[in-house]
Amino acid sequence: MTETRIPRRRAGDRPPVITELLDEAVVQEIADQAWAALVGEEEVLVPLPGEVPADAVSSWVEVLGPWTGTVVLACGRRTAADLTRALLREHAPAELEDEDVADALGELANVVGGNVKAVLPGPSALGLPEAGTAPAPGAAADTCRVDLLWRGQPLTITVQGAALAPEHEN
Amino acid sequence: MRALVIDDSRAMRRIVSGTLEGLGYETRQAGHGQEALDVLHAGWVPELCSIDWNMPVMDGLQFVSAVRANPAWRAVTLMMVTSEGEQGQIVRALAAGAHEYVIKPFTADAIRDKLALLGLLPQEAAL
Repeated sequence: MTETRIPRRRAGDRPPVITELLDEAVVQEIADQAWAALVGEEEVLVPLPGEVPADAVSSWVEVLGPWTGTVVLACGRRTAADLTRALLREHAPAELEDEDVADALGELANVVGGNVKAVLPGPSALGLPEAGTAPAPGAAADTCRVDLLWRGQPLTITVQGAALAPEHEN
Repeated sequence: MRALVIDDSRAMRRIVSGTLEGLGYETRQAGHGQEALDVLHAGWVPELCSIDWNMPVMDGLQFVSAVRANPAWRAVTLMMVTSEGEQGQIVRALAAGAHEYVIKPFTADAIRDKLALLGLLPQEAAL
């Protein structure tokens, strides 16, 4: 990744928390645009909470800058497979490999994360998308989460600050 | 016309390639900048490269600089297609030698419009 200069924070400056920088409506709008363009024009994300299954899969990108954290997409395995087929359309293989699903979910996280980064104070750098077990969440005050239903299936998009080091947790 | 689609996401490569093929392009794909340079060095020099920014091994900005440093590839049009949407990033890419910039998420019409601006719509798609 190309190096991006991150301004040094002065001693005593309090880093911003995500809830001071954006809200759920902004994240939902970004997700709506990503879904319409990548998943399908008629695809709708309904802002209603649902129970993400225990077998949830996650993809995420890291944002590093004045605000540092991750943008995490999480959903059940069936939802992840359906999303992958929707992204790939006629190019989807008959049998999806785990790699196909990780790649498609990672790209969705990348597009949402890149657009989240664009509304944050910069300059910031965007990491490469990853999939697997999502990074541990940070403080609740540094978390912005939207619960959505896509085709009736629950998924969440969480913009979360980096987890605090143990000595800072109290 | 020929296009090289450079993105570390296979899903995105398929989406961009599908859009370009729908406009009449012959496409090839590369997973990062170095793989794309290898394609060019092997003699497959397209009219258009569609380039993601954040990729492993060699990112899109480094690829743009490498292509611009080689006079033999002067005719290749470089179009960034990336989720890096800040104005500063767009300026950096254009300063490095990219001709156009498309922010993900994009629609097929957005790609078509950019290619029309660049004069790179195959004749049948321009009608």
